[in-house]
Amino acid sequence: MGGRDTDIVLLDENGIRCDGRKVNETRKVTIKAGVLKNANGSAYIEFGDNKILVGVYGPRDVHPKHLSDTDTGILRCRYHMEPFSVGERKKPAPSRREVEISKVIKEALEPAVMLKEFPRTAVDVYMEVLQADGGTRCAALTGASVALADAGIPMRDLVAGCAAGKAADAVILDVNNEEDQAGQADLPIGYMPNLKKITLLQLDGVLTPEEYKQCIEIGIDGCNQVYEIQKKALQDKFFSNGDKQ
Amino acid sequence: MSSERKRHVIPGEIITSGPYRAEQNTIQVGENIISTIVGLSDVHDGSVRVIPLTGGYMPKDDDLVIGKIVSHSSLSWTADINSCYVGMLPASDVFGRDYSSSSDDMTAKLAKGDLIAARIVNADMTRDPLITISGRELGKIDSGELVKISPNKVPRLIGKRGSMIQMIESSTNSQVTIGQNGLLVVSSEDPNGLLKAIQAIELIEEQAHVANLTDQVKEMLESKSE
Amino acid sequence: MSDGLIIDQLKKTQILELLQEGKRVDGRQFDEPRKLSIDIGVIPKAEGSARARLGDTEVVAGVKVQPERPFPDTGDKGMLICTAEILPIAHPTAETGPPQPDVVELARVTDRGIRESGMLDMKQLVLEKDKSVIGIFCDNAVTDHDGNLFDACSYASTAAINSCKIPKYEMQDEKPVKIEDEFIEPPITTLPVSVTMAKIGDHILVDPTIEEWGIMDARITITSNSDGNVVALQKGGSDGFSQEELIECAELSIKVGSKIREIIKQSKQSDN
Repeated sequence: MGGRDTDIVLLDENGIRCDGRKVNETRKVTIKAGVLKNANGSAYIEFGDNKILVGVYGPRDVHPKHLSDTDTGILRCRYHMEPFSVGERKKPAPSRREVEISKVIKEALEPAVMLKEFPRTAVDVYMEVLQADGGTRCAALTGASVALADAGIPMRDLVAGCAAGKAADAVILDVNNEEDQAGQADLPIGYMPNLKKITLLQLDGVLTPEEYKQCIEIGIDGCNQVYEIQKKALQDKFFSNGDKQ
Repeated sequence: MSSERKRHVIPGEIITSGPYRAEQNTIQVGENIISTIVGLSDVHDGSVRVIPLTGGYMPKDDDLVIGKIVSHSSLSWTADINSCYVGMLPASDVFGRDYSSSSDDMTAKLAKGDLIAARIVNADMTRDPLITISGRELGKIDSGELVKISPNKVPRLIGKRGSMIQMIESSTNSQVTIGQNGLLVVSSEDPNGLLKAIQAIELIEEQAHVANLTDQVKEMLESKSE
Repeated sequence: MSDGLIIDQLKKTQILELLQEGKRVDGRQFDEPRKLSIDIGVIPKAEGSARARLGDTEVVAGVKVQPERPFPDTGDKGMLICTAEILPIAHPTAETGPPQPDVVELARVTDRGIRESGMLDMKQLVLEKDKSVIGIFCDNAVTDHDGNLFDACSYASTAAINSCKIPKYEMQDEKPVKIEDEFIEPPITTLPVSVTMAKIGDHILVDPTIEEWGIMDARITITSNSDGNVVALQKGGSDGFSQEELIECAELSIKVGSKIREIIKQSKQSDN
């Protein structure tokens, strides 16, 4: 959270944000399920200008064997940004940020994925960020849930992701890149919409207790909106009446 | 209790609430029975299940499967059965209990890359499932073409009392060995028949969820081949 | 990576029998590549990008441009570096972690094919001699692997670099400064195109699928430029080629390459 000085007007006198949105509006989200030939399940998500491709393999054999668990399957997640996905080219090797985000997303999905059904196996989730514009971890998490469902991995619920935040002293929904750089707080949320549980939560910035409450409320609302798009992606792939896309 | 209409469901969606038994691909959460996968919910006789439209193969006892030999030890062969679990074929299944086989004996019988029709003997998930190739219509597969479909499409391919697969076999003069794991071997004396049979299978894979599938397949089989 | 793939015996027999009859499993001629489609500008925020689909193989290439310090011995030239990575989503046997030898080979062959062809006139990408030059990075990400990654990466890279926009930089106080909203066209001199051929017995097959790759005896990747000259070569696999076969391969590569070059040119025009 930079709180950097900027020439960009984050919120004008009409309550309009730098990209034309109102404070409680998410960016445009589209998701397509089943886009890769080899992966067991996959999804491509565009969340604003974020473009993320997710592939799932599994349940599958674990190598080396000592990593497997006799009582349960294990979930492995990798969040990775392509060198060309960000403004200044990123070196291919995994950064500490990517390692942390991979872990946080794994822990956001674990409550949903029913791993005990597949002892001694692994479910691998690979999230590849092709273009980044703020809020990639929420978008990656959202795509990962769809890819897992596409692969037929049993889940208690989907997990939808959306960030709330604060910029120009106002609580906002779905923080974009400029708002992340120059704003005051960024609160990514991962949420299971039917079980009503928050499984991903982080904060970068400063919030009063009242702002914190508002962020959570507006964030859950955002997640519910994103969930509708996840549902649509799966319905379009599996339930449409034989229409070729 | 009456049966409800089949509904399209996704993971986490509530199918129904009340005193029902949660069966395949469902779980009970409080009062509600929810789906754990993408599929068609089916409520009747007081129980709820979801027919999957996704997912890989989970070995079940007595299933007939097509496997590919990937390696062997002195005691058994390992076969890829298109599942997250590999099939173990003990050497004694082929050589008899007291015969102690050498590596050459093993490879001469079944080598890496060979395809087999096998039956699952013991599918307990705490270890890899045991398979057998001693039995009628089991053993090494020498000819035919291997086709792969999603395992959850297999029931559709077989059809009610085998009606769909019989229609394909008789109209194309071919024989199809169907593995419950989604692997099939198609053979025919007639190369055009072989091609038609495979096309019919691919059509079923693509359109399994569509209501008039049987008519579509019939139409495809009856049309003149190029 | 192909070591992890065990082609089943039935498939192997089928491929070999068909080859004896002059046929391939997917109905192609021996000198016919799979359908190629190229979309440029798929990553709008990068300075250039292209997605190449060769059959079911898919590669996304992104071009990033930024000022760099030149290499010590070439202070009068810009920098061009290509990389390639097989993403773990691309194939069940693709691994994460430090790249395996076959992935390192893929990256280096892709890089040589673009750089040694002289595709970009690097002398025109200097901001201040020996101090600051323009660095162009073309990173290839394989998203779906169905064989012949060498060619898919070559086409994605050539299309991405060919259609990129290089920001204008000016030296101010000894430092390169980007001039917003001003771009220069990349100094393209030629369009390199690689063609990979697999040798199975006595048969030479252009653009092998992953199954043909799994049973081949040897392979060769030949890159040609717009003038029909050979600019890069890489032989792989555990068998050898005869002299006659190598000449045949070069001719095939130039012939097939020129048709592919047209598709790459088309991708830039149809976007305008």
